Amino acid sequence: MKIKTRRTFLKAGVALIAAFTSYLWHRVTLETSGAGRRKPLQILLKQQQTVLFADDFILINQNNNITVLSAFCTHLGCRIDKSENDRLVCPCHGSVYNFSGEVVSGPAYKNLSKVPFKISPDGTKIEIEK
Amino acid sequence: MGQKLKLKNRKYTGRLTFGTYALAMFWLVVVSGILLAIPFDVNSPYLSVSVMNLTDIWIILTRNAHFFSSQLFLVLSLLHIYEHFHYKDKVGLKPGMAFRLSIGVLIIFLAMFTGFLLKGDADARQARLILQTLVERIPLIGSALAFSLLGDSDSFMLIYVHHIATFTVFIAIIMAEHSRRVWPPSMEVIQSVFVVLILSILFSAPVHDNLNPTVKGPWYFVGFQEIIHWLADPEWSLLLFFIILILLFWANSKQGKLMFISKRSLLFFTVIYIFLTIIGLFFRGEQWEWKWPGEAGYCYSVLANFRSSSVSFFSEYDRSALANSPVVGGRKESCLVCHAETHGFSDSHRPEAIGCFSCHGGNPFAASKKQAHRHMFLVPGNLASATQSCGTTQCHPDITSRISTGLMATLSGMISVDRYVFNENVTPDALTNVHDLKNSAADEHLKNLCVRCHLGNPKTETGPIDEASRGGGCLACHLNYSEAALDEQELIKGDLHKQHPSISLQVGNSHCFGCHSRSGRISTNYEGWHETVFSAAEMPDSAVYRLVEGNRVFVKKQADVHHQLGLECIDCHHSFELMGDGTFYAHEEDQEDVQCTDCHIEGLPKTIDAKYIGNEPALIAALRFNKFSDKKFLVTQKQNHVLVNCWFENDSVYLITKNSKQKRFVGPPASVCTKDKAHANIACSACHSSWAPTCIGCHNAFDHNEPGYNMLSNTAQKGAWIEYIGTYEAKLPTLGIRDIAGEKEVIPVTPGMVLTIDKKSFTGMAHDSTIFHRLYAPIAPHTTSAKGRSCKSCHNSSVALGYGEGELKYEIVDNRGTWQFYSLYLENINDNLPEDAWIGFLETRKGKVSTRSNVFPFDIEQQKRMLTVGACLTCHDEDSEVMKKSLNNFKDLLVERNVKCILPTWE
Repeated sequence: MKIKTRRTFLKAGVALIAAFTSYLWHRVTLETSGAGRRKPLQILLKQQQTVLFADDFILINQNNNITVLSAFCTHLGCRIDKSENDRLVCPCHGSVYNFSGEVVSGPAYKNLSKVPFKISPDGTKIEIEK
Repeated sequence: MGQKLKLKNRKYTGRLTFGTYALAMFWLVVVSGILLAIPFDVNSPYLSVSVMNLTDIWIILTRNAHFFSSQLFLVLSLLHIYEHFHYKDKVGLKPGMAFRLSIGVLIIFLAMFTGFLLKGDADARQARLILQTLVERIPLIGSALAFSLLGDSDSFMLIYVHHIATFTVFIAIIMAEHSRRVWPPSMEVIQSVFVVLILSILFSAPVHDNLNPTVKGPWYFVGFQEIIHWLADPEWSLLLFFIILILLFWANSKQGKLMFISKRSLLFFTVIYIFLTIIGLFFRGEQWEWKWPGEAGYCYSVLANFRSSSVSFFSEYDRSALANSPVVGGRKESCLVCHAETHGFSDSHRPEAIGCFSCHGGNPFAASKKQAHRHMFLVPGNLASATQSCGTTQCHPDITSRISTGLMATLSGMISVDRYVFNENVTPDALTNVHDLKNSAADEHLKNLCVRCHLGNPKTETGPIDEASRGGGCLACHLNYSEAALDEQELIKGDLHKQHPSISLQVGNSHCFGCHSRSGRISTNYEGWHETVFSAAEMPDSAVYRLVEGNRVFVKKQADVHHQLGLECIDCHHSFELMGDGTFYAHEEDQEDVQCTDCHIEGLPKTIDAKYIGNEPALIAALRFNKFSDKKFLVTQKQNHVLVNCWFENDSVYLITKNSKQKRFVGPPASVCTKDKAHANIACSACHSSWAPTCIGCHNAFDHNEPGYNMLSNTAQKGAWIEYIGTYEAKLPTLGIRDIAGEKEVIPVTPGMVLTIDKKSFTGMAHDSTIFHRLYAPIAPHTTSAKGRSCKSCHNSSVALGYGEGELKYEIVDNRGTWQFYSLYLENINDNLPEDAWIGFLETRKGKVSTRSNVFPFDIEQQKRMLTVGACLTCHDEDSEVMKKSLNNFKDLLVERNVKCILPTWE
């Protein structure tokens, strides 16, 4: 392709620089935020405790039936840190979930996601692959 | 007009616009920011902010100045845009410049917002999550963009870099390009410094205490927070930012109709947004719930961010004390700098673990005593403020959310029954609440004479819980003063106390005593004390008498067998009974869960393996008994609650006393209780109560001149209800029938409301005649004896049958047996029954007979059956073989009876 004018040359140059910067951004972000950097999380299992807020997760233990829920409200991602009358309540906008993670009242309408986990061989810890 | 012209002229001078002030503010932001970067620690942002607040007046001022100059920079920048739109017919920028300016506005908000995040407090952490979620939901590039903006979720480093470099540099370039100047005019700088300095001295930059459950974004985003609270898919709200940027771009670069519509749209949006911001700031509280000003907890829940103290120029402690004070909840707490050597706490409540602020409130970031103590609770734990102290999210929110449903907090039965006897309620079983009392005759009666004992009655002074204590919220049961703390309490007035009372599970009988030594008097009954009508001056000088509260004289009676064995109130009663279980109950017997037969059981009890018990009993068991994992705990039959001090081991039930840790074997009930058919539907307490306190009538009248007291508001008043009592007696209780859905049970009862009420004395209404009631009340006497009462004490007792004191005689004349009753007391003119009776001899009553709708006296047939056995007992000893046989086949024995056995005739 023949470059005809200085303006076209500049435009092409800017486009190239923008494309290169975007590629750079993509690579930098990819390298830094890539999966597998984190170690699996272990939470001490307290069989008596019905609700345990463990940072990013909520452990629910109902009659020895354990569920691990993501602690992040599906409305806007606030961390849920409170239970009231067998309900999980988001501090930011008041979305309410039951202990199965199902929405009881909004604004959230998606259920809390259930997190896959394993119980350690000795039965004392919950292991979560982050 | 002149003013307008003057303003129009300003744009040509290039000076005196909001823009030049914004430039001045920008420089203040930069300078204060550079200074602030020195004490700020990006690895522990919240801790470093708390240290800044406590360290030095100049550091505090620098932080405040950075905050206020940045807020003013934002406001002035927005006003500058408005200024351009308002005073120019068209801005007419080139598209490139207009585009960069629009992006610049976005960057200003991002710079502000990242500054907000760098506090690292509860507000900031939730705001960060919201921003991350919103950005991540942008299609295609969302995740990458969110990560590029916020970085690793455990680190604030990237946010810090963007705040101090990326966004600041961008804003500086845009400003320089836009205004073609770098330095603001000196006069604007001086004025700006002055304003910022004044603001920085008067108000401190906000920081969340990490306990208050209300979380809000920065003030310029609470309107946005209000919008996203409406949206189930809040990512669409990002379009709003996009639209505003487009409108800004058009308003700056286009002309004609498009420019006009863009400007008007921006103006319209601004007005709406200001309205939403006001809502977010002043009407939204915890969990973004609507709260009106004046509602309970409004200031704490809604206005927490405005509790900003002015800067104190006189720090009252040295910096070495600050350095040595512990880090609590991720921050330094100013309280602990002065109160460093306070001790006496239970392990869970040590200041090193929870600080002072989490119970006492106040200002944990203050640098002076006055500021630190502002909004503080000298006596925390009162129910009105329990959610702000004991019940904060990290502590006991489950309990404070349910305690107000319990009877000790509502007094439902007391209120409902009182209204019932005043003929204001048609049922004694209505659910009521002490906080809903109005001004009726019954409610005033309650306020004058009864309702001091609700848990919500605040404790207002320091000091231990004693006989005179009423209410006090959590402290009513959990406050304990050590000897040292008591001594200090006496010796030091108004000075720094080092001995702190403990808040613990050591709930002793003395905690219950103040309230429960009244009415049914279960506390005094349990310890074997019966109230007399002696005055303090009349009290005989003898060890069998005891003075309570300085004016009530009690005499020694038989104590409860559980008391004799060292059991205290809490050895039977568990946390869900005492602190409510979230359900409103009408009466004590409804809320009461533990029954004798939960522990005294024949065969296998109901148990639960220790590892499956709930969180609360597990926590209590762990605190009380350390190791408990191998236990099989008993579970109550009624409501399935765990009894953490009772377990099943080697085919036996054992109990350990909660405070004194004494292990006790719990025996099964006697065979007479479980084997025979005759007494299958009799409550344990009907036989095993050795006595119960009773009274013989009282009169109630209102005296308009009596100096009275309102127990609800704790204020003196003129005019009060007065109760004129008869006499008190201690005797075996009367028996009655409780009918629950057709299941009848014989229970102990005592005169509950045998009284007259001069209602007219209160209302002044001629048609309000004197009310008379003869209501008995079910009672749990708490005077258990190991041996049950004798057969005759029921079958041959006029008191047990409900006739009152007197001579109950079986007379046989000419082979004809009849029961005769000669009352001790005269007949009451209102119903012609003996003063102390529940029913007439071989009669019964219906209608208003008891303080419950399901408790009745024996009907005539039941009385006849009782008295028929009584007739046998006049000749046969109760331990005789024939009487033992009668327990299972009484009818057969009657058929086979000896001719000498004369059964009663009833005509």
